[in-house]
Amino acid sequence: MADLEIRDLHVRIEEREILRGVDLDVSRGEVHALMGPNGSGKSTLANTLLGHPSYEITEGTIVFKGEDITEAEPHERAKAGLFLAFQYPVSIPGVSVANFLRMAINAKRTEPIQVKEFRNQLQHAIELLDVDKAFTSRHLNDGFSGGEKKRAEILQMAMLAPDVAILDETDSGLDIDALRTVAEGVQRLHDEQGLGALIITHYQRILHYVKPEFVHILMDGRIVLQGGVELVERLEREGYDQIRQEFGGQGEMAA
Amino acid sequence: MSAAPATDANGAAQVQVKPGRHREATLYHALAGAGAGNGRTLEQLREAALRSFETTELPVWRRSGFWTTSLQSLDLDALETASGQDSVTVEPGVIPEVVTRTLPDRPHAGRIVQSAGSVVHVELDPALAERGVILCSLQEAFQDHRELAERWYSKRLTIDRNKLEAANAAFWTGGAFLHVPKGIVVEDPFEIVYAIDGPGVAQYARTLVVGGQSSEFKLHEYDLAEDFEGQALHAGAFELYLEDGARCRLAQLQDWGKGEVYDVSTRFVGVGRDAYCHWLPALLGGHLVRQHLELAVSEPGGDMAFRGLFFSEEHEHLDVFAVDLHETGPSGGDVHWRGAATGESRASFEGLIQIDPGAQQTHTYLQIHSMMLSPKARVDAIPSVLVSADDVSASHGGTVGELDEAAIFYMQTRGLDRPAAVRVIVEGFFEPLIAELADEALEEIVRAKIAGKLAAAREDIEAYATSR
Repeated sequence: MADLEIRDLHVRIEEREILRGVDLDVSRGEVHALMGPNGSGKSTLANTLLGHPSYEITEGTIVFKGEDITEAEPHERAKAGLFLAFQYPVSIPGVSVANFLRMAINAKRTEPIQVKEFRNQLQHAIELLDVDKAFTSRHLNDGFSGGEKKRAEILQMAMLAPDVAILDETDSGLDIDALRTVAEGVQRLHDEQGLGALIITHYQRILHYVKPEFVHILMDGRIVLQGGVELVERLEREGYDQIRQEFGGQGEMAA
Repeated sequence: MSAAPATDANGAAQVQVKPGRHREATLYHALAGAGAGNGRTLEQLREAALRSFETTELPVWRRSGFWTTSLQSLDLDALETASGQDSVTVEPGVIPEVVTRTLPDRPHAGRIVQSAGSVVHVELDPALAERGVILCSLQEAFQDHRELAERWYSKRLTIDRNKLEAANAAFWTGGAFLHVPKGIVVEDPFEIVYAIDGPGVAQYARTLVVGGQSSEFKLHEYDLAEDFEGQALHAGAFELYLEDGARCRLAQLQDWGKGEVYDVSTRFVGVGRDAYCHWLPALLGGHLVRQHLELAVSEPGGDMAFRGLFFSEEHEHLDVFAVDLHETGPSGGDVHWRGAATGESRASFEGLIQIDPGAQQTHTYLQIHSMMLSPKARVDAIPSVLVSADDVSASHGGTVGELDEAAIFYMQTRGLDRPAAVRVIVEGFFEPLIAELADEALEEIVRAKIAGKLAAAREDIEAYATSR
């Protein structure tokens, strides 16, 4: 049994069906890539997995570590060990990165984390992600550049040590150096902590640095093709249009 | 009385406001001008104020039909006014529990506590007393330091704009007087406390503070009441004068609790040549609160930071009129307020930048940010600018916010439940100002009070989220 089991997931937002029966399994220690053209429903899946209130599940289930979390509150999913690295992280003015991290860590624990233990963990994560120490005293995402926001996402991921993380287009808008840092961070968390990752991406770039074992192609709200890393190469050669003709011809773009 | 007269009690001309000169209806005016003092003795002033009290009605402040602050529901006759005008001795009394409970346990330079109409506690660091610092009740100051007290008393405050202002000037008892002489630098804060222990009290509070040349000090005022059933009144008059080069950090923590406490107060801070004041009132509760807060740069080179935060809840009514007054230039100003409202509370903040003729090379900015946390709560923020000099810069800005659902979801995905996420957002909203208190003990009190109000309004805030 996989840690995260998605079965026949149908999701609607404002009367429009975006996901039309998604099946997907992700376990600790596995790296998955979910690829698809714009509007295929990638971000909808990411948000739905964490319980965003705007997305309505009309059919199907999400089971995480044996618990049905289809209806669970977002913070319950987080506490259970799911994580979402946002495509567009929002800013939280007035709260420093370090303070926010401490709150998030304590939310998962019964006893607050010791200052020293927290400091050690933070130091480790800072080195892992090659960020400046001063970074952690800045207000979370407030005035951050695109690259800094993505690093802050991975920093949080490192500190919260989830079982399965969904990375929603973490590669978008990153220059090559930032992309490499972020991707290497994900790879190391996978190697060191046994992180399971579902890397959602439009492009292949990030997959040059994090090697997925499983690749899924999402089109028009369904996974139309699954395979290994060779799928990425095929996509690079042929593009989404070719695959669409083959598998998704019947569906219009979900915008 | 719904608007200030064009001249003050002494007939000194105020800034003339030409019709059409300002877009927003600036109904309230700066005190602008000499105060009631001006050579009159305390007795003469009390008598003049008494006449005004007898001939005026309880005030109503109206703004174009959609905002009214009225004291009609206050039964003034039923309240007990302390009649200790002739007694100047401090009666060592019981410090109300709300005071011991609220005040931080921390080093302080001095502390004076008034409960209802009596000063019940005075303490001053003996080393400071030796160097000439005076902290005593204002009544005592008029006995022991009459010349000094009379020189400054009501120098800029008026006594007859409305019945409660007149009542304060006529009936005040106890009071607080602080004088930090020339060149004295004090690290720990002075604390002035006004407390109301139970219903049925009319507290006429009077504070006079003078910072001598190049003095430097901190002043924390606490306005506190127990949670009780019934009415009480705090009519306050506060004046602080900073002489040349003096520097003061003034903070005020007000929380009148759950009782039906009316607070109608006027506070004036005058900044002298090259002097500086950082003023931060934290208005955290009161059944009906009307505050006229005026920070005036009166001499060239004066500078100020006028901060403030407010949080209204349940059925509270808060009306703040804050004036950033520049009487001469060059001068600097920076006004930054933040407020939030829950329940069915109403809060109005009117911020006025007034630059008088001749106050050239004044640079000032006013910003007001507000956040509505309940469907029935309302915050009005009205900035206005009156400029009578041409070589100045004055501008204002502001935002009106609601809870950002995207931010809440973001924090939830990090394991914070919804109330915790809301708390982070609201605390983050206030944090830039709380941090400016630059005083850990005081910061913690403000944070805890805000957290408590958010916890109390939890269902309300939840209802708002689902209603949108």
